[in-house]
Amino acid sequence: MNGVMLSQGLRSPMRHLAGLRRAKAISTSIVHNETIFVKNNDEFVNKVMNNDKPVIVNFHAEWCEPCKILTPKLKELIEPLNNLDLAVVDVEDNAELVHTFEVKAVPAVIAIRNGLIVDKFIGLVDADMINNLIDRMSGKKKDGA
Amino acid sequence: MAPIDGTYDYDLAVLGGGSGGLACAKEAINQGAKVAVLDFVTPSPQGTKWGLGGTCVNVGCIPKKLMHQAALLGEAIHEAVAYGWQVPSVDQVKINWSSLTEAVQNHIKSVNWVTRVDLREKKIEYINGLGSFKDPHTIIATLKNGSQKELTAKNIVIAVGGRPHYPDIPGAKEYCISSDDIFSLSNPPGKTLVVGAGYIGLECAGFLNSLGYSSTVLVRSVPLRGFDQQMAGMITSEMEEKGVKFHHRCIPVSVEKLETGQLRARWLNTETKEQGEDIFDTVLLATGRYALTEQLNLKAAGVNVLSENGKVVAETEQTNVPHIYAVGDVLEGRPELTPVAIHAGRLLARRMFGGASQLMDYDNVATTVFTPLEYGCVGLSEEQATQRYGADNLEVYHAFYKPTEFFIPQRNIRNCYLKAVALREAPQKILGLHFVGPVAGEVIQGFAAAVKCGITMEQLVNTVGIHPTVAEEFTRLNITKRSGKDPNPASCCS
Repeated sequence: MNGVMLSQGLRSPMRHLAGLRRAKAISTSIVHNETIFVKNNDEFVNKVMNNDKPVIVNFHAEWCEPCKILTPKLKELIEPLNNLDLAVVDVEDNAELVHTFEVKAVPAVIAIRNGLIVDKFIGLVDADMINNLIDRMSGKKKDGA
Repeated sequence: MAPIDGTYDYDLAVLGGGSGGLACAKEAINQGAKVAVLDFVTPSPQGTKWGLGGTCVNVGCIPKKLMHQAALLGEAIHEAVAYGWQVPSVDQVKINWSSLTEAVQNHIKSVNWVTRVDLREKKIEYINGLGSFKDPHTIIATLKNGSQKELTAKNIVIAVGGRPHYPDIPGAKEYCISSDDIFSLSNPPGKTLVVGAGYIGLECAGFLNSLGYSSTVLVRSVPLRGFDQQMAGMITSEMEEKGVKFHHRCIPVSVEKLETGQLRARWLNTETKEQGEDIFDTVLLATGRYALTEQLNLKAAGVNVLSENGKVVAETEQTNVPHIYAVGDVLEGRPELTPVAIHAGRLLARRMFGGASQLMDYDNVATTVFTPLEYGCVGLSEEQATQRYGADNLEVYHAFYKPTEFFIPQRNIRNCYLKAVALREAPQKILGLHFVGPVAGEVIQGFAAAVKCGITMEQLVNTVGIHPTVAEEFTRLNITKRSGKDPNPASCCS
């Protein structure tokens, strides 16, 4: 959305996760491009924070109607791409991640590259915004403007 | 966050994560206290349970209002035709019970979640366990898996609320449901018997009937006992005119399950001694609520101020044990309403930790019964005012009215009525306002503030109304009961 989010990248709750990224020097070799369904913090660190590719993280809840529209849409747009991943975090199962990323409403979408938050939006946004974000994250468009 | 007083784990432990408990906890945190909230839902006899937030959020105000709204929308679809809307096959418009309950439950879950996130943000410790006292400062929380957790607190607030009471008749617990279950019922309720004519029973019978589920109500004594009886009569008349059947002076005798899966309910008319029975798909018990004080083991805490019905007697929310308090539905003699619990809980926290001294004012609390035609009121009923001041010292102004929007669809206006109960002597201070009509809750709210300011009839009739509304009828009151004049309106606007 705008550059403001960049400065939030290394705020204290993120520092812990960013620290973990430096400590673990594994390379992720996700051969298939299926959506990552995050079940716990470790999985998040391994597959999102430590991912070579940028990741769109979608905070989702089963009881949230707009989520039921957005999540399938994100899957549809991101699964075919091989330089961008999608991670879905169910807010009921991942209370700590919800707290870390200060998610106060769903759906929430956070774009992460190299372990840093580079963009964030809350609520069901229109197709243009979603496509824009995906294009930027997958390198089709230049960042920041 | 370290507790202010290092002797105990917490400065405040709140038993019950409902309206009162959470409001108290959140205000206490604002005042710098270290707070823990215990919340646990024992499944209903039918197995229903729910998340954090208490009765209001899960099985009370919120789902009730949503279902009431669903019922009103159903009625509106039919009225729309009179206004010119071309609704295809309007006679085949039906409610999909699963869609309704799913939408309602999804909303409730979102509130549960926001509540939990909020507690986490505010650093209030949330323990999903059933609390009971080990000693005056120690609570044992029993978690779902049976394990126990002990915690000590300098102050403790009992905000455990209540649950539906089940009459001691065969078949009650086995086959009947309560308000705990209706809002998440997996199958459509079908033909329903509602036992009880308090506001819970009437509201449920009201929306079920409007949604298309034939409803019958068993009334033990009078409907809406404790409320103004003339207004209660208007509400039940309206419901009868909409098709709800009432059996007055009847108590339930038994409920048995038939091979078809339906239920045969038997009742007894206590006046005529006649027995009655019928077959229903669902029997919903709404025969009162009881406070959840028994499971607290109050003896261990030294709290001995329980009333006959198990509620806590605490004028200023403080029990006989100075550091143990109570707030919400668990209190004896106080309105069992969410805003009352919230307000009292907040003021209590300010007195406990903020050095404040303001006490909760339980007088002139406005409320509304959300039957399809709603009843809103604030202040004294005519009976209460008569008892307190004597009929000679009162002046009751009243009127029937006709909402503008009702004409075109020819909606029933017979029960659109309002009255003001005031002192007879000038300037005629208003003691109570009563209104039956659409959006009664919205109408009465503003007047509640006026009553708090001591509004008089002189001031009321000198208030210029907003036209066309139903609320303006209060400003048009001019006929007294005493005069014997016809309170029916001649025309609008003059």
